Amino acid sequence: METRLTPAWIVPLGFLMCAHALAADWKMDPGASRLDFVASFEKNAAPGVFKEFDTRLARFEPDRPEGAKLDVTVKVTSADMKSGDVNRAIRGPEWFDFARFPQAEFHAEDIRRVAPGRYLARGVLSLKGVKKELEVPFAWQESASAATMEGEVNVERLQFGIGTGEWANGSTIGLGVRVKFNVRLRKEG
Amino acid sequence: MLANTAESWGTPAKFFHWTVAVLILVQIALGFTAAAWRLSPMKLELFVWHKSTGVLILVLMLARLAWRLGNPSPALPANTPPWERTAAHASHALLYGLALALPLSGWVINSAAGVPFSVFWLVPLPSIVAPDERLEELAKLAHLSLLIALCLVLAVHIGAALRHHFIKRDSVLLRMLPETWRHA
Repeated sequence: METRLTPAWIVPLGFLMCAHALAADWKMDPGASRLDFVASFEKNAAPGVFKEFDTRLARFEPDRPEGAKLDVTVKVTSADMKSGDVNRAIRGPEWFDFARFPQAEFHAEDIRRVAPGRYLARGVLSLKGVKKELEVPFAWQESASAATMEGEVNVERLQFGIGTGEWANGSTIGLGVRVKFNVRLRKEG
Repeated sequence: MLANTAESWGTPAKFFHWTVAVLILVQIALGFTAAAWRLSPMKLELFVWHKSTGVLILVLMLARLAWRLGNPSPALPANTPPWERTAAHASHALLYGLALALPLSGWVINSAAGVPFSVFWLVPLPSIVAPDERLEELAKLAHLSLLIALCLVLAVHIGAALRHHFIKRDSVLLRMLPETWRHA
């Protein structure tokens, strides 16, 4: 079907194009970005890191973040907890199940500003085959063509079936996991 | 009686000796049980008990060493031949050395393994080496070798104590026992 642009369409379309021109697409600089997590092991903090992950932030304009889209992909198999024994254990089906779920994703299309420089991304986290809504607060700092996105969020591991069976009791391995990100983004194009 | 005398050990010396003796036996049992247990929360709990007991033994042994250095040991019976004196001193030095080296090598294993640990779930124990799987394997080998050495020296120690009591019929074993048992 052929669509003709009538004058009534042109005005909103013009606004859309203006907004699009202001809002930029952002791409992650992997070398300058970190995705850490802190689990707990026998009442001690047990830190780990996902060495490989990617963040894309589309159409993000700090003053009007409503139209933005955040996409994060995490290579779960790149998890490193600084201990050979622990790294071997977390591969198994009771924990991350690398064989079946090598990747986790977070997608948010509802990003709002809550304070100057502070935002909240509401989206869905897919992890170990489970999708759950998750609110991720972050701080945004921009300079020239680069920006830093930083924040942390608590993830309840049992919601995603991580640590099943006898590990589901949180007394030896805690139930809450703190996920921290410090992401360096560059404006595209 | 607190201080050692020429004839007998004082109460603190006896306390250190028997507390560490019991803890070492418990510790060996805990270590083998924890190592053999399949990977499960129970295995992790057993290892926290084993590591905590190890730290307790290390602290007790350091206090015991200080106490011993500041407190002359009872004399051996006058008719003890020189080789027995040498053997007694050497085996006691070895026991002290091994009872200190075993917890220290365990501490190296835990640090090299990169596993966070708090003594009795309360006091975080700092790492003494950076995570390193090769070093972890070496430290495990050292831990086991030291344990075998400890068991051998313990066998000599217990054998010698029994020989003093049942064959030489002197007071060497009795003076490490509670005072009241002597007259029983």
